[in-house]
Amino acid sequence: MKRTLAVVSAGLSVPSSTRLLADRLTTATVEALRERGVEVSVEVVELREHARDLADNLVTGFPNEALRHSVDTVTGADALIAVTPVFAASYSGLFKTFFDVLDKDALTAKPTLLGATAGTARHSLVLEHAMRPLFAYLRAVVAPTAVFAASEDWGGDEALADRVRRAGTDLADLVAARPPATRPDPFADPVPFETLLHGA
Amino acid sequence: MGTIVLVSGSPSATARPGIVVTHTETALRAAGHTVTTVRVRDLPTVALLAEDHRDPRIGAALAAVQAADGLVVISPVYRAAYSGLVKSLLDLLPSGALAGTAVLPLATGGTQGHLVALDFVLRPLLFAMGATRVLPGHFVPDRMITPEDEGGVETGTILPLAAAALTDVLISFTDSLRRPRTTHTTATLTG
Repeated sequence: MKRTLAVVSAGLSVPSSTRLLADRLTTATVEALRERGVEVSVEVVELREHARDLADNLVTGFPNEALRHSVDTVTGADALIAVTPVFAASYSGLFKTFFDVLDKDALTAKPTLLGATAGTARHSLVLEHAMRPLFAYLRAVVAPTAVFAASEDWGGDEALADRVRRAGTDLADLVAARPPATRPDPFADPVPFETLLHGA
Repeated sequence: MGTIVLVSGSPSATARPGIVVTHTETALRAAGHTVTTVRVRDLPTVALLAEDHRDPRIGAALAAVQAADGLVVISPVYRAAYSGLVKSLLDLLPSGALAGTAVLPLATGGTQGHLVALDFVLRPLLFAMGATRVLPGHFVPDRMITPEDEGGVETGTILPLAAAALTDVLISFTDSLRRPRTTHTTATLTG
């Protein structure tokens, strides 16, 4: 059965190094899964495009249709790749807002690969000190290798490429070892019309 | 008497952190301070989340924070951390903007167990932003706050014991405002 991989990128600019890292991690994961005989379809969620939807969600308490689609994509996926730019030694406000509105059980037991990008290597431990605790709280199964990319790492750096490959392998192993995710079917258990009429 | 800015990450008008904001505003004004509250949810959120500094309301909020003698950051604890909304405003401050400003972190959360978010997430964030005078901060559990919905106004009660504890915290915060800002000197250390 074909698996799905959700990719969440909180990059702000176009082109964005955050999206670039997300794409590299995705390619590495898809290749590693293919080597294990697992076919996967990829769905990318660009949080920048959801700024208004997230804002509305904070006010109304529920996601609009566009955001609902992305939330369902992440919730129903077999695996997640989540990449954020680093601000003040942590994930960005946009990135955090998405995981604030996501149901607290949405990532339970989900294989997850983490990435972060920044201008310098100074904040590379943001992965261990900010990202991992957040996803640990959400009970995701976080891959042992997480990838940080500073500006100086781009441009043919083999160390970054190696790390990306290792991270993709880690995530592929976690996905291949698990049965396919079951996606909730909103029509599977409808509220009987009679109950609806009684205002329950 | 100083100028104090409150940054409120309360998600709605009647939510519990909003009541802590109202309580804090009232207490600080009663002590004679000039208080401005930045309610992050009221800012143009698209510009905020997309980090658009050009928006005039966001510009005004950032200018107020940078000009303040004291800053109170009030966030609900979401996912064991500060809320994304609070982070998105702080992300827009230039580095070093909080150097010398007295900063008081306040948080609310569902259980006492969320208290650690203050010391492990919120205060480290403020230090990473270059704040040099971060106070220990204070956590108010949700069960100590009783919201009352009165037409969307932030009213409600903080139970007496918790209110007294918060008052103590605010007194030490305003005491710290009286101390002069740290000034950088060109003096060198000599043996």
